Amino acid sequence: MIKTKTWIMIFAAMLLIFGAVSFWSFTRPSKGTVANIYVNGECVRSVDLSLVTESFEFTVETSAGTNVIQVEPGRIRVKEADCPDQVCVHAGWIADSANPVVCLPHRLVIRLEKNGKSADGPDAVSK
Amino acid sequence: MKKIRSTFLIVQAILLVFCCFLPSGCGGSEKEKNEKHSSVVFAMDTVMEITVYGDEEVLKKAEELIRDLERKFSVTLEESDISRLNATGNTRVSEETYALLKRGKEICERTEGALDLTVYPVVHAWGFTTGEHRVPSEKEIQKLLENVDFRRIALGENMLVTVPSGVMTDLGSVAKGYTGDRLMELFKDSGVTSALINLGGNVQALGTKPDGSLWKVAVADPKGGEEYAGVVTMEGKAVITSGAYERFFEENGHVYHHIIDTSTGCPAESGFVSVTVVGDEGTLCDGLSTSLFAMGPEKAFEFWKNSDDFEAVFITSDEKIFVTEGIADAFTPLGRFQKKETEVIRRD
Repeated sequence: MIKTKTWIMIFAAMLLIFGAVSFWSFTRPSKGTVANIYVNGECVRSVDLSLVTESFEFTVETSAGTNVIQVEPGRIRVKEADCPDQVCVHAGWIADSANPVVCLPHRLVIRLEKNGKSADGPDAVSK
Repeated sequence: MKKIRSTFLIVQAILLVFCCFLPSGCGGSEKEKNEKHSSVVFAMDTVMEITVYGDEEVLKKAEELIRDLERKFSVTLEESDISRLNATGNTRVSEETYALLKRGKEICERTEGALDLTVYPVVHAWGFTTGEHRVPSEKEIQKLLENVDFRRIALGENMLVTVPSGVMTDLGSVAKGYTGDRLMELFKDSGVTSALINLGGNVQALGTKPDGSLWKVAVADPKGGEEYAGVVTMEGKAVITSGAYERFFEENGHVYHHIIDTSTGCPAESGFVSVTVVGDEGTLCDGLSTSLFAMGPEKAFEFWKNSDDFEAVFITSDEKIFVTEGIADAFTPLGRFQKKETEVIRRD
């Protein structure tokens, strides 16, 4: 008797959680855009921009220097860096998968990748 | 005891449900037939992005290929073929260096020297190779121009290359284009049918996207920022842009950019701010984007009319877009360029 009750409880809990998560993920204006941060070609951190609700910052330490990265709902940028050219800082916010932020001196790249197959923007930028 | 176990089970169930909703982040694991694999390689003084669909193993081979070509073509690495050639004036080089010198010289010849593989000392005098920018004197430039002549690179038997003393060779204007061509070959040989690479702004594709649709390649706005001047749709082409906005410096209110006019030894004041060349061969597109930029509209349009192996998008200093008829339908202006005039150049 107790066993059956337990199973019902587990089932109910799972259903509830499943429902809640589904509701939460479907009601979000999510296109599943993930910002991947690469150092020297290796992905060191991922942020799902569609799940960000409040602005936050974090620091990426590379062997060549540090970059302070700021995240806001749907977008990301390098806020500060101790690299000589500051190209990454001047690149500003990105919200487009074709145009990554690059810090060449620190070998750091922030690239947006979409989970879905159809991305509206261009696939690459010729420059 | 029972209570503990059931709590444990519930926690497990919760974890299980959550796992299904994890977004694909670092090294996401969608197991699809046409799975997308990307890598970033820092080489040839720039950042290279490689995306292939299907075979992940080929990414490692791609990086090895890039590193290998860099070791052969670099002007800064002491042991490279080009450094040895510049130091001794007479050396045997690798097959790849020989092939690229040969192809590069053909493009120089075809552009009547608007592209010149020996312009390096002039570019160096302006500081574009080191970042220590300066405006050289007229006298200095004239002296350096005496040694600018790609015809003096002699390609002999058995990979032997000879140049007279004072002449310096640099493959920078075609090296990334050639690397793109070689990567496409590697992908094809590995059975990959869909790939896109961006070698520091040089874009090249193999085939179409896995779903059969065309690649969309944006042409950067010469003014910079997040806007694009337009977008080109294509399959299996190289899309390579040269712009005055890439590397430049300012002195006494004058802006000097890095594309040198080989006839004057000064930054080309040609009337273009950007030239994008689209074609099958990356090496050709790379070499032509620089040289068509230096030629200016009149000569560049004429050059295209007499060719059949590339198309182009030209943006002039007054922000007018000219697009050749072969890709007129594949090009769409974007942003503020939608309101401006786009003219199609035809062969008559």
